Amino acid sequence: MRQLRSTLASWEGFLLAVLVLIYLVNALNSAVFLTVGNQINMFQLSVEKIIVALVMTFVIINGEIDLSVASVMGLAACAFGWLVQAGVPGAAAVAIALAIGFLCGAFNAFFIVWFGIPSLVVTLATMIAFRGFARILVEDRGISDFPAWFDRLGQGGFIGPVPFAMVLFAVLAVLAYLLLQRTAFGRKVYFIGANRAVAEYSGLDVKMVKAKIFIASGVVSALAGLLFAARVGAVRGDIASGFELDVITMVLLGGVSIFGGAGTMSGTILAILIVLSMRNGMALQNITGHIQTGVLGVLLILSVMVPIIRETGSRMLARTR
Amino acid sequence: MRISLGTLRIIVLLGVFAATVLFFASQIDGYLNARLFNRISGSVAVIALIAVGQAFVVLTRNIDLSIGSVVGCTAYFTGGILMAYPDLPPLLVPLLAMLIGGIFGALNGFLVARFRLPSIIVTLATLAIFRSILVQSSDGSSITTERLPVWLTSFATQNAFSIGELQMRWIVVISVVVVLVAHVFLTRFRAGRQFFAIGSNPDAAAFAGINAGRTIFLAFVISGALAGLAGFMFLSRFGNITVVAGLGLELKSVGAVVVGGVNIFGGSGNVLGVLIGAALIDVIDTSLVRWELVSEFWREAVLGLLILTAVAADTVLMRRLLKRKTDGGQQ
Amino acid sequence: MTPVLVMRDISKSFGGTTALSAFSLTLEPGRIHALVGENGAGKSTLIKTMTGIYQPDSGEIVIDDRPVTFRGTADAQRAGVAAIYQEPMVFPDLSVAENIFISHQDRPKLINWTTMNDEAAAMIARLGVTLDPRRAAAELTLAEQQTVEIARAISLNVRVLIMDEPSASLSDHEVKRLFGIARALRDQGVAVLYISHRLEEIFALADTVTVMRDGKHISTRPVQEVTQASMIAEMVGRDMAGRFAREPSRDTGERLLNVSNLSRSGAFHDVSFHVNRGEIVCFSGLVGARRTDVGLALFGVEPADSGLVELGGQAVVIANPKQAQALGIAYVSEDRRKLGLAMTEGIAANITLPMLGKYAGAFGWLDRMRELADATAFRKQLNIKAANLTVPVGTLSGGNQQKVMLAKWLNTKPRLLIVDEPTRGIDVGAKAEVHQILRSLAAEGVAVVIISSDLPEVLSLADRVLVMREGRIVGEFAGDAATDEAVMRLAVAAEVA
Repeated sequence: MRQLRSTLASWEGFLLAVLVLIYLVNALNSAVFLTVGNQINMFQLSVEKIIVALVMTFVIINGEIDLSVASVMGLAACAFGWLVQAGVPGAAAVAIALAIGFLCGAFNAFFIVWFGIPSLVVTLATMIAFRGFARILVEDRGISDFPAWFDRLGQGGFIGPVPFAMVLFAVLAVLAYLLLQRTAFGRKVYFIGANRAVAEYSGLDVKMVKAKIFIASGVVSALAGLLFAARVGAVRGDIASGFELDVITMVLLGGVSIFGGAGTMSGTILAILIVLSMRNGMALQNITGHIQTGVLGVLLILSVMVPIIRETGSRMLARTR
Repeated sequence: MRISLGTLRIIVLLGVFAATVLFFASQIDGYLNARLFNRISGSVAVIALIAVGQAFVVLTRNIDLSIGSVVGCTAYFTGGILMAYPDLPPLLVPLLAMLIGGIFGALNGFLVARFRLPSIIVTLATLAIFRSILVQSSDGSSITTERLPVWLTSFATQNAFSIGELQMRWIVVISVVVVLVAHVFLTRFRAGRQFFAIGSNPDAAAFAGINAGRTIFLAFVISGALAGLAGFMFLSRFGNITVVAGLGLELKSVGAVVVGGVNIFGGSGNVLGVLIGAALIDVIDTSLVRWELVSEFWREAVLGLLILTAVAADTVLMRRLLKRKTDGGQQ
Repeated sequence: MTPVLVMRDISKSFGGTTALSAFSLTLEPGRIHALVGENGAGKSTLIKTMTGIYQPDSGEIVIDDRPVTFRGTADAQRAGVAAIYQEPMVFPDLSVAENIFISHQDRPKLINWTTMNDEAAAMIARLGVTLDPRRAAAELTLAEQQTVEIARAISLNVRVLIMDEPSASLSDHEVKRLFGIARALRDQGVAVLYISHRLEEIFALADTVTVMRDGKHISTRPVQEVTQASMIAEMVGRDMAGRFAREPSRDTGERLLNVSNLSRSGAFHDVSFHVNRGEIVCFSGLVGARRTDVGLALFGVEPADSGLVELGGQAVVIANPKQAQALGIAYVSEDRRKLGLAMTEGIAANITLPMLGKYAGAFGWLDRMRELADATAFRKQLNIKAANLTVPVGTLSGGNQQKVMLAKWLNTKPRLLIVDEPTRGIDVGAKAEVHQILRSLAAEGVAVVIISSDLPEVLSLADRVLVMREGRIVGEFAGDAATDEAVMRLAVAAEVA
């Protein structure tokens, strides 16, 4: 039993070792890597994805998946752009965009929780549909005349050189960690993911927890979409498209089980750092985005294979004993 | 005379398809004509191929999200080989494309069947990996129509035969033949029924001595090979292949499979339904562009909601059917 | 007559527990051989050994005078041995005909549906039944699915067909049809091994009866030579040493739970009983007697359709486990793995799960020190052996898991504790400890309901024994007046001799 515990503990340890290694290699390969400017840039380029990864950790530990996150990001951003263009004040547009995120999450939750359709299928369909709504709103235009404060929020420094979205990520990461690992809600998330029947027998409100998670996923994705719009200062119909892949990869790489019930927020955060520093390191070597994603794909397969290989190994060991 | 659930599904699908066509015919002037058929049939041919491949995988309770990247890769590699060896016998080229696609599929199948990794993770990863292989080998340069043999680029518009103004393109004929062969294989051959058995009840399949690993591996190889054939057609239709070729086709294939009535949990479905599903999706896709009341940008929203509706309706139907059985459960 | 299958001195143990010890059995063609024994006598291990799911530790299986080794069910099938179970294993999406012929490796690669349907129909007709071979298995009743399984077995030319509690979930009419099938098979020369708890079935059907107990062969006789009484005596006959001592009752006489005419369609009917504070009431009966369903109804998992439940003198409606828990009812499931504990999560977290609200402060912040303190108290009180309280429950032994499950529900401070099979699959030492825990709970004034198939356990713990059969309470004994044979007789519906 100690073994199991230490292997669980060591997944984070392993990720940490990998992270240190990547930082070392990157630092040796490029003088730019460790500069404050590059480090901020590294986060800033993916800050929306890593925010969504925090809430995706809850989704997957709960034994579900949400493929629609990137489309919700796109829809919220496009709705914001459309509203601003239609003369709605910026603050109100932000609120409406977040409300749309809420509705998207509730829509997913309705079909998953009360209809009992697997989240994989529901969010695959809404991934296409929400993206479609975004396109209906902005068609093939680009919208970029945002309020000045909005652009500044996305592009300027907020605390010193650190931009707003990064500060927000740091705050959300701490909150997500505390919520998942230290509160009753987080405990419920784990148990429902580990064994739904046990959770129901123990009197947990399984449907409510699932609904809350999907709604949170919608709201946070909408928020991330707004941050993305603020950072690039423009929206298009295909904004944030394909991000779900990166987000899910980060979470799974962090040791969260696709079957639910296992994984930690610190694992996800370590995986986020690994993915970001790897991408940044490769970018500094002029390796294109597609290739970076491919390397991450290999990492993803390896990360699900490691526990299986280890398990077979220990089972064979147990047999010989 | 009892009608089986499978037949009922096909009938409903045909009804929905007919209603959709009639609806657009009432909305769009000069909609119903041979030109519509000629235009749509080509793209349906490509989607139907990958959807049939996807159906094999879904039947076994798996999913292949890498299929769009496989289409892109095979289109690119086949094009590249043809540019290097323009004198290759034309008949060999589609087989070559299927071989390339089959190799990609075999990699997926190996990882899923041998290590029992969840197919959604494996193919999510290979979706990215295959795409990056394409990017890496293309090095930014694209395949262009001018550099391909003429027979290939004109192949997509070549007719096998025509009925009045209806032109039957070769690619359509090939695709229909593939669907029919797949249908016969899945309904008439013992080996084909094993795909259903594994998806229907994996434990019982193991009890019955069915080699699940081999069958799942085969499903991914078929999926890859058909994506390869689709890649060949893609190459022939568009000529210009960039690094984004085939992007997003995995969603359309899953959509066609689900709308076509294949149970996403495996075990039941019919590739004729998948063909209709693919046609339905494509008809809606192309017709919305011409419908004046809404913009063409409604396409994805409609597709997404269509998939959701199809699954929701199917879930309700299946639950009603299975309820009878669980009512007889025991302690 | 030459036997078709002989099991000779088969032994099989798991970890420390012996499931089969030097067990021998001879099956002859054209005969129905019944196998009886209490729950846990080793019947299922025997079946799994015969069908190649388990490999025996020692002893040999002989078919037609040749020793054989089965590495899996496929091997056994090839040798002509197949089994059907209470829960049929069919492919719901495939047709009846396909379900029958799916594992036929020798059939043509190309399916001729007309031929196959005809052959399937003929195969089913051989069983004296009609069933449309084109229907999907999902549309069939349980009994029809069973028929399909039998047809599959005989299509493979089985010579030994094992029927494991095939009648447990069938209606009377369906049981008759099943008997017809079994007799048809016998007349065609198949050796049928028929396993059932219902002794009347055995007299109606079998030619030979074997009684087993504690993994050992007790007797094999022609059915004419046995009586229900003799069978029951052999099934339960135990050394006195195997019994646990009884202790005086702590019944306070103060009625806590009163259940009248509780029914759930398809499960149980007109169940009426009461439990006092401090009393231990045991539900005895065979697997399939629907005792668990009564427990699940009281806990709100599968609420009853009709009837009255009064708790502490007040009529209550229990629609879900949350409500049950709020009323002070706790239910410890028989299925630790599926319904009892989340095996990948820690011990303390499992224990506190139903009471999370108690440990949660502002914003749901968990007081982990308090959780740990409570869990530690239970660890001490129940003697839970674990390295520490954060290790995953799945790493513990069965006995310790059972204690964690008890701790989890004791932590809710229940007035009424329902424990389903409290000691299944745990070793003797842990068993005695669990019994002591249950007794001391009663001493504290908790009303305890125990559902157990383990007769010695029932007899040592119960202040009162209620016997259930086929969804009804068929008898009641005072704890000290109950005997093995009397309880078993009621449970299997034997006329009192």
